[in-house]
Order: sequence, then C-alpha cells, then structure tokens
Amino acid sequence: MSTDIFRPVGEDWVPVSASLATGRRLVAMPMLALPAVAAAVVGATTSSTAVRVAATAGVVVLLVVAAVAWTWAGRNQRSWGYAEAEDDLLVTSGVLFKRLVAVPYGRMQFVDVSAGPLARRLGYATVTLHTASTETAADVPGVPTEEARRLRNRLTELGESHGAGL
Amino acid sequence: MAPDSEPDAAPLADAVGLRTHPLTAVTTGLLFSLPAAATLVLSSLQNGRLPDLPWWLLLLVPVLLAVGGFVVGTAVGFVSWYVTTYVIDGEEVRVDSGLLFRSSRRVPYERLQSVDIAEPLLARLVGLCELRLETAGGSDSRTSLKYLRLADARALRRVLLERADGPGVEAEPGSQLGETASDTAGSTVPARERRVISHVTPARLLLGTLVSLDLAASLVLGVAVLAVLVAVDAPFAAFGAAIPFATVLLNIVSHRVAAQWDSTLTEDRRGLRIERGLFTRTTQTVPWERIQGLAVEEPVVWRRLGWARLKVDVAGYGNDAGDGSGESTSTLVPVADRERIGQIVRHVLDVRPEEMERTGPPPRSWPFAPFVWRSRWVGADAVGFVGVEGWFQRRSNVVPHHKTQSVEVRQGPLQRRLGLATLEVHTPDGPVDADGRHLLAETARAIALEQVERARRARSRAHPAPVETS
Repeated sequence: MSTDIFRPVGEDWVPVSASLATGRRLVAMPMLALPAVAAAVVGATTSSTAVRVAATAGVVVLLVVAAVAWTWAGRNQRSWGYAEAEDDLLVTSGVLFKRLVAVPYGRMQFVDVSAGPLARRLGYATVTLHTASTETAADVPGVPTEEARRLRNRLTELGESHGAGL
Repeated sequence: MAPDSEPDAAPLADAVGLRTHPLTAVTTGLLFSLPAAATLVLSSLQNGRLPDLPWWLLLLVPVLLAVGGFVVGTAVGFVSWYVTTYVIDGEEVRVDSGLLFRSSRRVPYERLQSVDIAEPLLARLVGLCELRLETAGGSDSRTSLKYLRLADARALRRVLLERADGPGVEAEPGSQLGETASDTAGSTVPARERRVISHVTPARLLLGTLVSLDLAASLVLGVAVLAVLVAVDAPFAAFGAAIPFATVLLNIVSHRVAAQWDSTLTEDRRGLRIERGLFTRTTQTVPWERIQGLAVEEPVVWRRLGWARLKVDVAGYGNDAGDGSGESTSTLVPVADRERIGQIVRHVLDVRPEEMERTGPPPRSWPFAPFVWRSRWVGADAVGFVGVEGWFQRRSNVVPHHKTQSVEVRQGPLQRRLGLATLEVHTPDGPVDADGRHLLAETARAIALEQVERARRARSRAHPAPVETS
C-alpha cells in the first residue's frame, strides 16, 4: 500500500494559487497575535508570579498554535488540485483527511464563483460546483481570478453540452 | 363555487392568475382553532392537574379560544388566499403570494420531480386537498397549492405530469389538456392503464411495526422506567419521563402506521404512484426518470421473517423541513416479502444485486466497525451500483449508473495507516446512501474510477425503461 491513491487520474493536478495560504495566514495571524501581545503585556507588568507564569504559558501556546496554523495553511494549499478530464471534473484536497471527488459535467446544476475582499485583493476565488447531491461538496478555493472565470464558463458550457437533466 | 375553480378552466387558462378554493380560508381557520385550544389545555395541565376553577369556566375558556382561533385563522387564511394566485402556462407554473412582501415562484416543468396530492383530515372533511410540486434543490424546494378541489387537483396533476414528461411523449387522445376533470373524478384510475405493484394490508403493516426492534425497544424501556419511578413512589417524575417515550412512540406510529396505512404502489407508462395514509391521504406520483435510487431496508427481526421495506430517492423528497415527514414520503413499500421487494427493484431499475460480484472491506478494517464490517459490500452490474451496510438495520442501496451525481474516495489518518479508504457514490438527499466503507485503498480508487466510467457510458445511452417481469 505504498502508492498514493490520490495520485492524478490522467493529467497532473492543477494546483491552486499560493496566495490562498497567504490569505489564510493574513486572517489567522492577527487573531492569534492580539491575545499573544495582550498576554505578554500582562506578563511583563504584573507583580504576581502565578499570573506571569500563566501569561508566559499562554504566549507559548499561542506561538505554537500560530506555527501550526502557518504550516497548515501551506500544506492545505498545496493539497488542493483539480483536473479537467474529458467528461468529469476531478478535485482532490486534504492533508489529514484526504478526498478525491469526480463530478461529471453532465451532472452539474450550476457553478458558483465567490471571492471575499481579501481574496479579491490577493487575486483568487472559490469555485463551487453544485450537483443535485449535497454530498458532492466540490468547492475549489484559491483558484486565480482569471482562471476561476475561465473555469466557470468552461464548466457551464460543458454542463450544457453534456447535460443529462437530473 | 367561484368560477375560478371550475375544473376545465384550470388547465386551459394560460397566463390568467387563478386562486385556490375559497374554503381554504375556513380550513386554515380550523387549523388555527384546534391547536389554540389544545395548547391552553396542555399548558394548564403542566402543573400536574387542572386549575382550581369552576367547571363551566374550565369548559368555556377553551371553547372561546377555539372560536377566537377560528375567527383569526379564517381572517388570516382569507387574506393569504386572496393574495395567492397561480398561473399554469406553456413553460412553467408560477405562484404569486404575499401581502406586504410579494413573492413569485416559478417552477419550470422540466424541473418537476414529483407531483403529490395530500388530503389532510380537516381539508378532507370539506372535500379539499393540497397539491405539492417537488423540485430539486434547497430546503424549500416544495411548492404547494392549498387547497384545491380533489377533481381540480387531479386534472392539474395530469397536465403537469404530461408537460413534465416533455415533448418526447406523444399526447394520447384521452389525455388532452382541455379534458374536463369529470372524466377522472371519483376514480383513481385515469384513462391509461394502471397496474398494481404492491398493496400492504393494515394487518401486515401493524405486525411489521410491532416486530421492528425500535418500537419494541422503546416500549420495553419506557415501561421499565415508568415501573421503577412508580415503585420508588415518584409519580410526577414518571409523568415527566413518560413524555419523551410517548413522543417516540407517537412518532413511530404516525410515520410508520398512520402515514403508511393502506399503502398501494401502482405504475403506469409514466411512472410510479403511491397512495397511502389513514388520516391524511397522500398520493405521490413519481415519473420513471425521476427515480434517483432505491433502498431496501431490513431490520434485524424482519430478516428472520424474510421481510423488507422499500424506499426511494427522489430529489426534493429528502428536504422534509425537519418534521420527519421525509421518512414517510420516501417509502415506496412499507413492508413486503423480501423476494417481492427484490422483484420490484429488478422491475423498476433492472438491477440484480444478488447476482453481483461482491467487494467487501478486508478483515483489518474491524477497528472501524467491529463485527458489522462482515455485512458490508459493494458491487455493480451493467445498470446499477449497489452498496450494502448495516446489521441492526441492513440497507441495500441501489443507484442506477446514469443517476450517479458524483463519486468520491476519502481517507482519514487511521485509514491511511491500515491502507483503507472509503468510497461514496453520491445521490440527492434521501434514504439512499451507496457507500463502500473502509475498502482496501487501491480497490476503493479502482471502483471509484470504474464507477465514473460506468456512469459516463450509462448517461450516453438512452435511459432504460422499466422491464417486464412476471
């Protein structure tokens, strides 16, 4: 069982934008930095030893969490990949919990492209494929904006030509 | 009768807004009045006994409340009836409603998944029924017209199903759009031939429910808890403990017995029809093409008796607004012999699970499902994919290849250590869930890719029609 069962089916996986990791770090780091700074200030100004120990421990924990979040953002971003096969869109993702989903073009009900303010700034968007099944859950985050638009148009087009109703 | 509700006007009057039956308001009023009174009685009872008041006051207050509820309900119902209109035209059904916030919903015919007629007890008393249009998608995918005369609803259903079928089907002489409802009124059998596939007698249904373990378990547990509480002399606690058990029992009885009473499954050229219900009579019509999958359920005691239950996946049926009605809606046959259910599966989808080569999880998958792993397997033939799982309640899920929505392979950290992976064949929300859990990793990938290929081939072929069986 040494081979990777999430290897590409045909062509190589198309990776998603590295900016996805940057974006996620930009969201996570301030959220962790603020309490860390607060704890550091409390630890530096307090006269009680117990509080200082607790504050130090808090800072250390937050730093560890930040380091984990930093690497997770990178690994998760690298784990995403998609491939446009002849009749299906293939999507793979996940580091610990991996998945590979194949969505036939003819089964797509509609395709969404969404991007928040930060994502727009960094130039990527989330492409979501909807089928009649909620289990499909095929959203590809971090697709470069231009590519996301192309992908949506392409998928919509393919969906229409392969369309098999419900 | 208002001219609006003339049966022959309904199908023909394109682009003219029609209203539902005027008695709708009165029915809404009745629906308001009874719960209003019942809520008051129950809330005063919650202290354990009736409040200390003269008897006439005890009687008068609920009656007044019921009357008040009726008046308010009728007023509300009248306004909502007045502002709601529907239009049936060449491409879609449109329902406009709302007083302050107007809403307009369009249902294109090709999106119709099923057309159901429900006759709730109260509406039935005044000869009315509700027409439900199921479409795929979101939680409010159901559009309902409340309330119509039964004959009107049937005529409308016929028109809708005909248009939903698309231009591929030639119009029959006896089923033209302008046909008046009088031809079909009073008879459930339309001009076309309708064949009975299965009919479940009330006795069989009751027996089946009694021997299903969840009912027995909740009965035994409930009685045991009550006995202990009464033994330690805590009647109030017993009363409190009885409520959840009573709720569970009521739920089982209402969904498995009352909702499935006198359940009859019939078919015609267009599709399946289920007629069922003791208080609320429901008729569901599902075109052949809208069947997304079938699930055969065998609770452990039923397996001994050789009995089974048949459920169906139809896009839209899975969204039951959390009231559990999806369970009764998606039941095709509440109980029958296993062989008979097998024949129906073969007839409807032409899939033969018993002849398939089975792929099961390897023994080393036992940490995920001790003992139960043995009963799991997946298989496929030319027409469909089958996934079987469960011991307490075995469920065989059958998905026709051309209805495969997507295919997935998943692997968690522990599965990776053991070299396993889970395969899923996705269908719309509903009872059917064709998964192969904890298969050998490479096998799971191989089956997934094969399934993608099978689905592709099946889509490019013409959709299979039901086959003749004896």
